[in-house]
Amino acid sequence: MNTTAQIPDWAGVATSVVLVLLAASLALYQRLGVTRDLVWAGTRAFVQLLAVGALLTVLFAHAGLWGSAAWVVGMVVLAGFVAAGRAQGLPTARVSAWIAVGLGTLLTLGILLALGVVKAEPIVVVPVGGMVVSAAMSATALTMRAIAKTAIEQRPAIEARLSLGMTGAAAFAPYLREGARTALIPAIDTTKVVGLIALPGAMTGLILAGVSPFDAIRYQIVVMYMLLAAATLSSVIVARLTTSSLFDSADRLVRFDHEG
Amino acid sequence: MSEAFSFESVVLERDGRRILDGVSDHIHAGAVTAIIGDSGAGKSTMLRLFNRLEDPTSGTIRFKGEPIDSVNVHQLRKRVSLVAQTPVMLAATVLEELRIAAPELTQDRALELLGQVALADVDLDRETVTMSGGERQRLALARALTVDPEVLLLDEPTSSLDDASASAVDLVIRTLAASGLTVVLVSHDLDRVQGVADFVLVLEKGRLVERGSPEQVRYLS
Repeated sequence: MNTTAQIPDWAGVATSVVLVLLAASLALYQRLGVTRDLVWAGTRAFVQLLAVGALLTVLFAHAGLWGSAAWVVGMVVLAGFVAAGRAQGLPTARVSAWIAVGLGTLLTLGILLALGVVKAEPIVVVPVGGMVVSAAMSATALTMRAIAKTAIEQRPAIEARLSLGMTGAAAFAPYLREGARTALIPAIDTTKVVGLIALPGAMTGLILAGVSPFDAIRYQIVVMYMLLAAATLSSVIVARLTTSSLFDSADRLVRFDHEG
Repeated sequence: MSEAFSFESVVLERDGRRILDGVSDHIHAGAVTAIIGDSGAGKSTMLRLFNRLEDPTSGTIRFKGEPIDSVNVHQLRKRVSLVAQTPVMLAATVLEELRIAAPELTQDRALELLGQVALADVDLDRETVTMSGGERQRLALARALTVDPEVLLLDEPTSSLDDASASAVDLVIRTLAASGLTVVLVSHDLDRVQGVADFVLVLEKGRLVERGSPEQVRYLS
């Protein structure tokens, strides 16, 4: 790869702090009440990226492929926590999220690696894995949120179906499809307009690194398909897992922690 | 007269609150029993227990002599069908609504059921959103009948209806009971079930305080 990219030095990074200060000043002047949040977010991003940069440098140099795999597993665990936090008290949300993000990532990344589309090297597995986990997490969180919301709002209709002798799975089937569909809309829409509204991250990164745009799009196409697959797989898996946890052994719709 | 349900020392606690407090009695098969009480007395909860949408915290409930939790729950819910206070329409048209739990239901059987609930003049392809409250109530009754239940549980079947619609529903209930169906209905008004119910159970703050014919209960209270 031809690295003609101009990477800002630390003086350049320090200069860019002016942008945060500008945003914070504007927020203060307009009394938006988010000045502290802006400064905190900027500081936090700096520290997080510094730590990640240092860790990845060590990881790429010394940890090898297994270390990279462990890094991806760590991302899956963290993603499960984040996605479950959006689940509005769904039973077994965390375990369902871990399984969905984990399987979605394993299958997508596994196929790409097995077919040799991406190289089994730490420098590839970690960033590509990060993109897959992120897509899987987002779809998982949206699916669980949609299912929890539906289960709460549609309780009378679901119980009406159960009262007629339907199984929990059958009673929830019309809402299951809707929940998964709703969760996949952002991934599908992003794929539809890729390159038209904004240049996607992987492609932008490659172009900045000096790769020709026509070469960069090949990578981006793989990335988009990979993200679609990861989102769909995770959404379908978490929808199934979550639905079964909505009903107890006597096929009753369970009450969530914060439900009245 | 045989018993459809018998229940002994039934307690139900929800969120630390005691909804039913040691209720013991039975429901006669082939009769109309009304459970009467103020709001929060535990009436609707009794119906949910009979349909196993909830289980008691303690105590026993038997259906036709069998412990209720030993009967397959899906079979039980077909044999003991519950119609909620404000029935939710689950499909776009009348025929689709009747096929929700009985996909094989023929048009002839659908028309027959509509006749049973005094909706004979309603088209099968009519959209359910265009129906009045009384018509929806009766359509929900017909929907419950599609699974050939032995017991119908009706939660405040006439509370939100005008007098004409309420009388039509009352007549349907009496007709169904005359055909051998067991009906348990919930109401907050003793006058409302006069002429409809054969037996009345009165709940007060989760306790059973009276039982008898509507006339006996009226006299006692």
